[in-house]
Amino acid sequence: MRRYFEKMGDLGRELRKGEIKRTEDNVAALQEVEQEVDAAVERVKTTGFSTEKINERGQMTVWQRLEYLVEPGTWCPLHTLYNPLDNPEDTTNVIDGIGKIGGKWAVVIGFDNKVFAGAWMPGQPENILRVTQVSKRLNLPLVWLVNCSGAKLPDQEKFYANRRGAGTPFYRHAELEQLGIPILAGIYGTNPAGGGYQGISPTVLFAHKNCNIAVGGAGIVSGMAPKGHFDVETAHELIEKAKEFKSEPPGTVKVHYDETGFFRYVFDEETEVLDALKEYMAEMPAYNPRFFRVAEPKPPKYPVDDLYRVVPLEPKRVYEFEQVLARLVDGSEHTEFRPDYGPEVYTGLCKIDGFLVGVVGNRQGYLGKGYPEYADYPGIGGKLYRQGLIKMNEFVTLCGRDRLPIVWIQDTSGIDVGDDAEKAELLGLGQGLIYSIQQTDVPMICVVLRKASAAAHYLMGGPPANRHNAFTLGTAASEVYVMHGETAAVATYVRRLVKEDEAGRPLEPVIEQMNELAQQYHDRSRPVYCARYGMLDEVVPMSELRNYLVAFAGAVYQNPKSICPQNHMILPRLIKG
Amino acid sequence: MDEEMLAPLAGQVLSIKCAVGDAVEEDAEMIVIEALKMETPVFAPCDGTVKEIRVKEGDYVEEDDLLVILST
Repeated sequence: MRRYFEKMGDLGRELRKGEIKRTEDNVAALQEVEQEVDAAVERVKTTGFSTEKINERGQMTVWQRLEYLVEPGTWCPLHTLYNPLDNPEDTTNVIDGIGKIGGKWAVVIGFDNKVFAGAWMPGQPENILRVTQVSKRLNLPLVWLVNCSGAKLPDQEKFYANRRGAGTPFYRHAELEQLGIPILAGIYGTNPAGGGYQGISPTVLFAHKNCNIAVGGAGIVSGMAPKGHFDVETAHELIEKAKEFKSEPPGTVKVHYDETGFFRYVFDEETEVLDALKEYMAEMPAYNPRFFRVAEPKPPKYPVDDLYRVVPLEPKRVYEFEQVLARLVDGSEHTEFRPDYGPEVYTGLCKIDGFLVGVVGNRQGYLGKGYPEYADYPGIGGKLYRQGLIKMNEFVTLCGRDRLPIVWIQDTSGIDVGDDAEKAELLGLGQGLIYSIQQTDVPMICVVLRKASAAAHYLMGGPPANRHNAFTLGTAASEVYVMHGETAAVATYVRRLVKEDEAGRPLEPVIEQMNELAQQYHDRSRPVYCARYGMLDEVVPMSELRNYLVAFAGAVYQNPKSICPQNHMILPRLIKG
Repeated sequence: MDEEMLAPLAGQVLSIKCAVGDAVEEDAEMIVIEALKMETPVFAPCDGTVKEIRVKEGDYVEEDDLLVILST
């Protein structure tokens, strides 16, 4: 199959002098947004106690543990800004991402021990469930850095119970284990109650000498006799009991290493726990990458930093999709599927770090005379029409058949509308695409390069495809909304305008509301907002996008549960004819 | 020698970013056409001097209408 993959077709071209000159403002504008994202990330990193304070206590912070654990240059953080229930600490109190440990890709998650000693907090269960889903979708080991003081008690009603509450991750841990996906846990600090289950639910437990895991901690044990009220006498009793348990909290290594054996190992130094995790990860089942690579890895021919010039921040501006893809894939090479059909959508095969992936993306700009063929109006890229939807259905189905992971690159304003579009069956073809995705069972990721709007956002492998979409990345140019804010304002207020006008009343109050709604749409579709509320799993600098694709491809091909031999693939042959 | 710049699509001329007599470089943004809620810039195909501008802002143009003539 070398002839199909070793040298594929050329993609993109070098930027011309004039393009470089006229895109200076765009570079600055995108980088300004990236700085806003960086500032938000910095707030997450510095929340809670200082690093110095934690180090003075003889502990490493979660950030230091991650830095020690994960191979340099491989860390791809996820959910950093996720804080859907608006915790004033700017975090759900878990830090996670994908990285290599001991030469193998893993999903890694740790409690931020700088904030309430790593407590459960609002939004955290949903964060963890996203993480276990990444593990499941990519069939990757999950590595936990447990350091969980239990629930942040004043907020317990926001996260403790419910169908996707703080106990649900323990079911997901069991599910992963039943699927053959191991969970390794380095355990630090005091982990009572929920923290205890965080400690016990993984597969192999690596304990630091000062850690403990327990059904209940000293606080619960000392306060377990409710009388209906508190008074000075009970306060003194509580103080005595608390002092007693403070000296020896339940579930130390004396119990869970010496007695129960729940801890398989105990280490004196924090770094020794991490070293042990590295050793275990090095022994995880994984194919040698050569098993699946279709060619030697190579960087794109054109610099990834060109993306700052190729992708306009202004959402109305058109650009060449091929110029984007050429900055992301090996050698800037590809093999396009059905280039003469459905011009609004790119579908093709590319290599990422030597691994074969399917890519689907929205083309931008005028689509040429006579398209869409079913209407008397012109078509424009970013929108989806009949042919594009049919083509994506075919491509996704064939990728599923050939076991090829799919990278979706979205910049879409939606699907064509009107009776012509209805007669062209776009509604059915859109749901057909959902059906096609659902039956493929291959891992996917989505990059919201710029616009993600209307049904096209969920049809094109976005986060709603959550059995398939491992994660969704945003950029400084990303904006996610059901429709543009001004369109929404018209849809909401146009009848009111007519009514007020007919009644001879002033239109200004309605106009003010329209402007407010449009502004609200704008504010609530920005990258930081979308990441905070989980519409994007991470906002990534343009210059880092390829790194995430490399991590995704490496992860998918590390230990796939189902494979298609290269010599049995049908998609490359269909393209070649 | 003259180089004719044609409208790549039908739409409304949103902005004109050059003036007669301007020396422009290849790929300079000359005119922006708005159609279907999107802005399509029209770039200079080569270095030259703007000899003539055949449209004004707000004009509706058809595909392949003549927009600008460049002297090269």
